[in-house]
Amino acid sequence: MLRFIIRRVVVIIPVLFIVITLTWALVRLAPGNFYTSEKKLAAGIERNLREKYGLNQPWYIQYGKILKNIARLDFGNSLKYEGQSVNQILWRALPVSVALGLSAYVLALIVGITMGTLSALKPNSWIDYSSMTLAMLGISVPNFVLGPLLVLIFSLTLFWFPPALWDGFPSLSVVLPAVTLSGIYIAYIARLTRSEMLGIMRSDYIRTARAKGLSEFQVVTRHALRGSLLPVVSFTGPELAFLITGAVVVEKVFALPGIGNYFINACFNRDEPLIIGIVAFFAITVLVFNLLVDIAYGFIDPRIRYS
Amino acid sequence: MSQSGSRFALLFIILSCLIAAGCLASARDNSFFGKTDPPRENILRYVSGSEPESLDPQIPNNQNEARISLALFEGLAEYDPKTSEPIPALAERWEVNKDWSEVVFYLRHDGNFSNGDPITARDFVYTIRRGLKPELGSRAASLAYPIKYAQAFNEGGVFVLDPASRMFLLEKDFAESEAPMPTPAPAPQAPTGKSEIQSPKNANADTEFHRFMQAPARLVLPGTEKARNKALEANPKLKAAAAGKEFVPVTAEAVGVEAVDDYTLRISLMQPAPYFISMMPHQFFRALHSKTIETFGNRWTDPNNIVTSGPFTLESWKHYDRIVVKRAPHYWDAANVHLDKIVFYLLESNTTMLSLYKSGGLDATYNHTVPSAWLDKVGQMKDFMDASEAAIDFYNFNTTKGPTKDVRVRKALNMSLDKKALADWRHVHPLTSIIPDGIFPGYPQPKGDPFDPEKAKRLLAEAGYRDSSGNFDPQKFQASEIELIVNPDANNVPYAEFVQAQWKQNLGATISIRVMEGKTFFTAQINLDYKGVSRTGWAADYLDPFTFLGIFYTPRGSNGTGWWDPKYVELLDRANRTTDHQQRYAILAQAEQLLLDAQPVIPLVVGTTRFVKKPYVKGLYPNPVTLHSWKAVYIERDPAKWDYGMPDMSK
Repeated sequence: MLRFIIRRVVVIIPVLFIVITLTWALVRLAPGNFYTSEKKLAAGIERNLREKYGLNQPWYIQYGKILKNIARLDFGNSLKYEGQSVNQILWRALPVSVALGLSAYVLALIVGITMGTLSALKPNSWIDYSSMTLAMLGISVPNFVLGPLLVLIFSLTLFWFPPALWDGFPSLSVVLPAVTLSGIYIAYIARLTRSEMLGIMRSDYIRTARAKGLSEFQVVTRHALRGSLLPVVSFTGPELAFLITGAVVVEKVFALPGIGNYFINACFNRDEPLIIGIVAFFAITVLVFNLLVDIAYGFIDPRIRYS
Repeated sequence: MSQSGSRFALLFIILSCLIAAGCLASARDNSFFGKTDPPRENILRYVSGSEPESLDPQIPNNQNEARISLALFEGLAEYDPKTSEPIPALAERWEVNKDWSEVVFYLRHDGNFSNGDPITARDFVYTIRRGLKPELGSRAASLAYPIKYAQAFNEGGVFVLDPASRMFLLEKDFAESEAPMPTPAPAPQAPTGKSEIQSPKNANADTEFHRFMQAPARLVLPGTEKARNKALEANPKLKAAAAGKEFVPVTAEAVGVEAVDDYTLRISLMQPAPYFISMMPHQFFRALHSKTIETFGNRWTDPNNIVTSGPFTLESWKHYDRIVVKRAPHYWDAANVHLDKIVFYLLESNTTMLSLYKSGGLDATYNHTVPSAWLDKVGQMKDFMDASEAAIDFYNFNTTKGPTKDVRVRKALNMSLDKKALADWRHVHPLTSIIPDGIFPGYPQPKGDPFDPEKAKRLLAEAGYRDSSGNFDPQKFQASEIELIVNPDANNVPYAEFVQAQWKQNLGATISIRVMEGKTFFTAQINLDYKGVSRTGWAADYLDPFTFLGIFYTPRGSNGTGWWDPKYVELLDRANRTTDHQQRYAILAQAEQLLLDAQPVIPLVVGTTRFVKKPYVKGLYPNPVTLHSWKAVYIERDPAKWDYGMPDMSK
């Protein structure tokens, strides 16, 4: 087990190296610079800027500096935002993205599993149809549509929740973004739970449980649900990493100060250190979560053994 | 299946009802866009655009930062809340000498930084020298270039010292043949209305520095050896003279700013710059606290460190979220500051900010924030602020290649555009010249070519696109050689589609549109790496026609068009040496006419402010640059005194 973990951790390094190199090359290939704008800078000023940020050095020196920085887990200073380091920005934005991602995750689990279970218990009932229709909608409506739609209804008509901005966690401002972000996951989880549960409810051990005289509630919660959650766990584990790092659209729609929002702007601003820092951070997060999921499998599923 | 279908239909109906309810609810009060309950406290909730690059007013050069700088810092002059013209601020008054070589500012004696330190002329000397430091990388430093040796210092130039005579070589001895013409005899004096033209009193205080400033300009060469050698190679006379000489770097101390005494600031100019005063409210020239900057380096703008000079000081900065400024107790005019706080939300999505505005979370937005698709609805409301601004939308021609190399083609493409129709459609004003009408009273505006599709066709026929009978033939016109490139910001794409339709309708030519990502687009435009036409715009840096004409003042056409004419540059130089206001305007108008004749651009429309402001927000006017003097702004709780429509803009 330990050897497996060590091997996986070691693999992270070359993957990270490739990711960073590719990102760096892409940023370099993109036309324009962090100071490019409608108003062209005077030649002398452009020279001062290139000098100040070391852009006049040969590319291999600049590239080497980036690698050296990353080896020390220090991503350097943002080009766009004077006097702010990338690490500072990451630490500042991370809690927002984590709070949003986890809220959406918990919401998706609770609502998705409940919907799926109810549907499976009463197949072909109106509960089943309406929750599966909702699930279908959840899968097919992208979150840049769902978000503004929720804003229109709950912020601009009913005035229940703020339409944008972040007032900290917990607060009313978390509700709409979390619902928007969880939409698609609710849908997946509901459908997964339903189909798994349908199969399990017909299995022998459920019949045995019923025969023992357990109430239907106990049968479902103690026996059926446990079994049907395995695929849900394996689905949602890696998704959690994406929920935290991939809320780019939702953070943009609701103007939240999370990592995703920084990332989009960093790309448009050609803020090289910030782009590389965020990509490296995303890569590390995804790799670590995958590792965690693999380890968790070992504990959950006795058929999997790492040696 | 049919059952699930009907369930779906039911759901769809419920959703549609909710959306319809949304539309109905917003239609209830159709005179204002959303809630109109004033906030309980004297706090203005404003949105200023995206996260500032820095709160250091001298580093970035964008409107979003400028708006916040206006709250935090104060300069010698401030923008008038209604007209945006410079009005006294930390300087009580100023004087300009006859030939525009010197400006003297008389500072108020009660100006204070937010920590209570007095603001003196020395602080302005520090501020300007610091802004020009090459290491700072200020994007706006070129605004200070009219100041003597400012450009030389900012570009890291060197003076040339003769070690034998200990004399510096002078610029006038090496002037190239195309050098500026001799200064014309002083024109008859006419008051400009903005400043008194008379011999400054304290300016006569003769100091060693002043004699240095008054002496003929020293020769400046590039600081780096490579660039210097190139300059020397180009001028044999210079090369011969520079041999064996010492190169002395231009230092901050050589820049033409001098504190004559605590409250008198003397600025010497490199060449006459009648637009100089109108630049003084720019954030680059706002007073900075030297001790704070020298102590904290690039962390000086952190809320714990910052010391400010304006009516407000920084309370907090939640990055990517909001900046809160609070009243500065030591501000000299604190009694006339009405707001206790201003919250600047750091948002850039127009839809998001208008949602926030509608739901009562925002009191006002900045210019161009009402998206064009919303204009039909929001444009009718009483809180919609729509006034002309000192900003223009225009298209660049690539004058270096393709069909648009031919001036007749450029003229034809311009003439075949019905700009009035475009302007009416988008609630803006048409533009046929470069300088927007009505912003500069008394400016003899030349008229560009009017809408005339028939003449356009004749011109194209002359340019060779004709059939055997000599008439214009759209088949021959190489429309495929022309492309209209735009970046997707704001209304660029709908404008482009309108222009495309006009060309199709009036010339029968189908010119395609290419929408490009922002920085890719700007790079293509600057490098002239496009076919035909590219979209651009310009918002005034300061209120003088030169801010617009200066776009094409750039050497060798690095202005996105490739067009460059020494005659044009000469006219502008001559205009700026002319101290008589009307005469200067007349020469500027000549230059503009020359530009219009060469037609390197298609003027399109004059920008309009297009923002929303709650009726209870008073003192915030749709001025030409959308930069607000925040101390004038207040929250009015009495609905009888609200603005029902545009506020009164007359003085």
